Amino acid sequence: MSATNSGQSTFGDRQGQALSASDEAGIGIHPAEALFYHEAGLKATWAVARMAVGALSFLFGAFLFSYFYLRSINSHGMWHPRGAVLPQAWAGTLVMALVVISAVTQTAALARIKAGHKVTWQAGARVALTLGLIAVGLMVYQLAALPFPAGASGFDSVYTAFTPIYLIIAFATMFWLRILLVRAAAIPAEYLTEQPPSYAETFTVQHFQARLSAFTLLWNYLAVVAILFWVLFYLL
Amino acid sequence: MSIKEEPVLPQQPGGVDPTGPLVQRAWWKRPAIHTALLGAIVGYLIGRLIGDAVTSGVARVANSNENDIALVLGYLFATLGWLGGLGVFNDIVRQALGRPTRGTETYATPGVARYFRYTLDHKVIGVQYLVAMIAYFCTAGLFAMAIRTELLSPTTHVFGPGTYIEIVGEHGTMMMMLMTSVVLGPFGNYLVPLMIGSKRTAFPRLSALSFWLTPAAFIILLSAILWSGFPTGWTGYAPLSNQATQGMDAYLVAFGLMGISMILAGINMLVTIICYRAPGMGWRRLPIFVWSMLATAFLMVLAAPVLVGGMYLTLTDRTIQTAFFVPDLGGSPFLYENLFWFFGHPEVYILALPGFGIVSEIIPVFCRRPLFGYKTAAAGMIGVSLLSFFVWQHHLFDSGIDPNARPLFMLTTELISVPTGFIYLVALGTFWRAKIRLTVPMLFAIGMYFNFLIGGISGVFLSDVAADTTAHGTFFVLAHFHYTIMGGLIFAFMAGIYYWLPKIMGIKLNERLGKIQFWTMFIFFNSTFLPMFAIGAMGQPRRVFEYAHRLQTLNDWVSISAFLLGGSILIFVVNFLWSTVVVREPEVGNPWQSRGLEWQISSPPPAENFARVPLILSAPYEYGVKDASPVADLDPPPDVLAGAVASMPAPRS
Repeated sequence: MSATNSGQSTFGDRQGQALSASDEAGIGIHPAEALFYHEAGLKATWAVARMAVGALSFLFGAFLFSYFYLRSINSHGMWHPRGAVLPQAWAGTLVMALVVISAVTQTAALARIKAGHKVTWQAGARVALTLGLIAVGLMVYQLAALPFPAGASGFDSVYTAFTPIYLIIAFATMFWLRILLVRAAAIPAEYLTEQPPSYAETFTVQHFQARLSAFTLLWNYLAVVAILFWVLFYLL
Repeated sequence: MSIKEEPVLPQQPGGVDPTGPLVQRAWWKRPAIHTALLGAIVGYLIGRLIGDAVTSGVARVANSNENDIALVLGYLFATLGWLGGLGVFNDIVRQALGRPTRGTETYATPGVARYFRYTLDHKVIGVQYLVAMIAYFCTAGLFAMAIRTELLSPTTHVFGPGTYIEIVGEHGTMMMMLMTSVVLGPFGNYLVPLMIGSKRTAFPRLSALSFWLTPAAFIILLSAILWSGFPTGWTGYAPLSNQATQGMDAYLVAFGLMGISMILAGINMLVTIICYRAPGMGWRRLPIFVWSMLATAFLMVLAAPVLVGGMYLTLTDRTIQTAFFVPDLGGSPFLYENLFWFFGHPEVYILALPGFGIVSEIIPVFCRRPLFGYKTAAAGMIGVSLLSFFVWQHHLFDSGIDPNARPLFMLTTELISVPTGFIYLVALGTFWRAKIRLTVPMLFAIGMYFNFLIGGISGVFLSDVAADTTAHGTFFVLAHFHYTIMGGLIFAFMAGIYYWLPKIMGIKLNERLGKIQFWTMFIFFNSTFLPMFAIGAMGQPRRVFEYAHRLQTLNDWVSISAFLLGGSILIFVVNFLWSTVVVREPEVGNPWQSRGLEWQISSPPPAENFARVPLILSAPYEYGVKDASPVADLDPPPDVLAGAVASMPAPRS
C-alpha cells in the first residue's frame, strides 16, 4: 500500500497493515490497536479542521452581523458619513491578494506533494508562508497608520475591530505552516512515493499528510474570509 | 534518515514517547501551578507597564485615572504568563524548532502533584475539573448567601447599593460563566473515553488548556471586586458596560477566556466522540450521556465564538474607543443584546442538556429496565440543540425587537418544549412499572425531573409575549431560570457525583449523609425558589436591594430557606471529605450493577483504561432482557479485533 493513499485503501490492505504494524512499529501494542488509534488520529485531524472552520465562521459571523446591523440602522447617519476617510485601499487590496495567492500556492503545492514531489511542496509552502507573513505585516501597518479614529463611525469600528482578530488568526495559521515545514524536513522524500521501511514511519507520513490537508483547508477558508471582508470594506 | 516525530500512541496521550528519556528535575523547576502563578504575576506587571506606556499621553486616562488598556493588557499577559508557567507553549515551541516533544514529564508524574500540572491524561483533567467546579460553585454560592442576607430587610442594609450589585454580578456571572463546564468538564473528560471504549481523548492538549483557562477566568472575574465590580449583572449589557468602571474589564476578559475554554473543550469532545469510538460502538449503541455531551459540545463550538466576539467588541469600545454600542457614533446597544443572546440562549441548553444526559443515563440502572425510547431521547437532545439557535430574540421582546417579529420567536421558543418533552416521555416510559431503587443518585435524578418540570412550564409561560412583558425583570424570571439551572443542572450534577464517584475514586459516598443532603437540598431548594414566583408576580424587580415592605415576610422566608439550602451543600462537602479523606472505605468495582461500559473495568480505572481496544457487542441498557449479550468483549481475540478494525470506515484523505 502506498503511504500516500490511505483513504483509498481496501479493508484487506488495512487488515494486513494492522497485522504487521505492531512488530515493525516496535511500540509494544496489539497490531489492530495500533491501526485503530492511527486511523482515529487521521479522522480526528480531518474532523477538527472542519470544526475549526465552523467555529471561526461563527466568530467572523459576529463581525458580519455587526457590519450589516449597524449599516442597516445607520444610527444618527453615522454608519459611514459622507466624506469620511476610508482605510488605505491599496493596502487592503494587497492584503487580500497576498492571502489569496498564498492559499492558491499552498493548494497547488499540496497537489504536488500528493503526487510525491516533496521538494516542490516545500518551495510552494515557503512562498505561501512568506506571502502570508507579508500580509500579516501589512495589516499591522494598516492598524498603525489608521487614517481615522477607531470610533469615528460604525464602519470604522467594525474595520478597526475586525483587522486585529483576522491578523492574529492568520499569524497563528502561518505558525502552523512553519511547524509543518519543519516536520516535512525530517521525512525522507522517498517515503512519499514508496512504502516506508516500517509502519511507524508510514503512520508518521500519513499523519503529516492529514495535518497538511487540514492546514490547507483552513488557509483556503481564511482566504475566502479575506475576500468577503475586502468586498465589505472596500467595494460595498 | 530517521523520522524524529514519534507515532501517536494510545497509552500516552498526545503521542508522547513512553520509552523516551524522562527528564527529572527538582519539583520547583517543573512547570506546575507555582510556576504558573509566578508567570501570571510577571505577565500582569509586563502588561500593565506596556499599557501605561502606550497610553501615557491619553487625556481620558489622565482625567479619569482609569487605564482600561493597561488593565486589559495586564490580564491578557497574566493569562499568557499563567499558561506559559504551566508549560502550555513548550511543545509548540519545540515543534516549531524541530525538536521532539517532551510531554512525558508531566504525564508520568505520579501522586497528587499531577493534579496541579498541565497533564494530558483525560482522567486527571476530569478530576481537576471536578474539584475546580465544586470550588467555583461554592464561591458563587457564598455570593448568593450575601444577596439573601441583604434582602432580609427592605430598609436595613448590610451592603450599599453599589456593593450589592457587585455581589449580584459576581454571583450571576460566576454561575452562568463557569458552570457551563460543570458536567462536560469533569464527567465529559473523565467518562466519555471510558464510555466509548477509548484510551484517550482526541486532543488532550486542547482539553488540558480548556481546563487551565478556567482558574484564570475565575481569578480575573473575582478580581473585579478590586475595581468596584461591574454594574451590569451577568449579561453585561451596553451602554452600562461602556460607562462602568474597570471591574467591567475583568468581566469581559474573564467571560472571553471562558468562551475560548468552551470552544476548545467542545471541539475535543466532538472529535473524540466521532472518531474514537471502539469497534461496534455504533451511533445506536452510544450511551445517552455521550449523546448529551455531543449535543452540548456542538452548542459550545458554534455559540461560544459569538460570545467571544461580543466580549471583544465591548472591550474595543472600552479601550481603543470604537463605537459599536454608542448610538451617536453609528453604534447600537441592541447589537450587543443580539450578539450576547445568540450565545446566551444556547448557553441555557449548554447547561441543561448535560443534566438530561446524566439523569437519562442513571434511571435505567435503578429502574432495572431498558431506557424507553432511546432514539427519541437522542433525537430530543439534538432537536433542543438545533432549535436553541432560533430563539434568542425572545430576550429582546421588551427592548429592541420589531413587534412583528415577536410571534415568530414566541413560536420557536414554545416549539423547543417539544423535544424537551421527549426527554420526559423517555423518563416516564422508563419509570413505568419499574421496581425503582431509591438510591441517592436516583433521588437526585427524580428531583431533577421534578424541578425542571416547574422551570420548563414557567418557561413556556414566559415565552408568551404578553406574559413576558408583564414578568420581565422580576423575581418571577429569576425563579424560572433557577428552577431550570440549579433545580435541573445542579441536581443532575449531584446525581452524577454520587453515581460516578465510586468509578472515579473507588470510594462510595456515605449513603445516609447523601440522603440527608438530598432531602434538605430538595426541600429548601423549592422552599427558596417557589415563593420567588409569587414575589415576582407581586412586582419585586431583580438586582434591586430595596423592596416593598409588604414583601418582607416572603423575602425572609426565602432568605432563611436559602441559608438552609446552602447548609445542604455543606452536608455534601462534609460527606465528600468524610468519605474520601477520613473513612476511605474501598467500594466494589460496580456498586450499582450497571451495564455501562465504564463500569466493566476496575474502579478507579487503570492508567490505560482498557487493556485492549474493546469490541462492543450490545447496547448498554438491556436491563432485565433475557439472554442479553455482554456489553463488550474487553479482550477480543486478535484476529476478531483486526477484522473489526478493518471493517470500520477508512479515514478520508
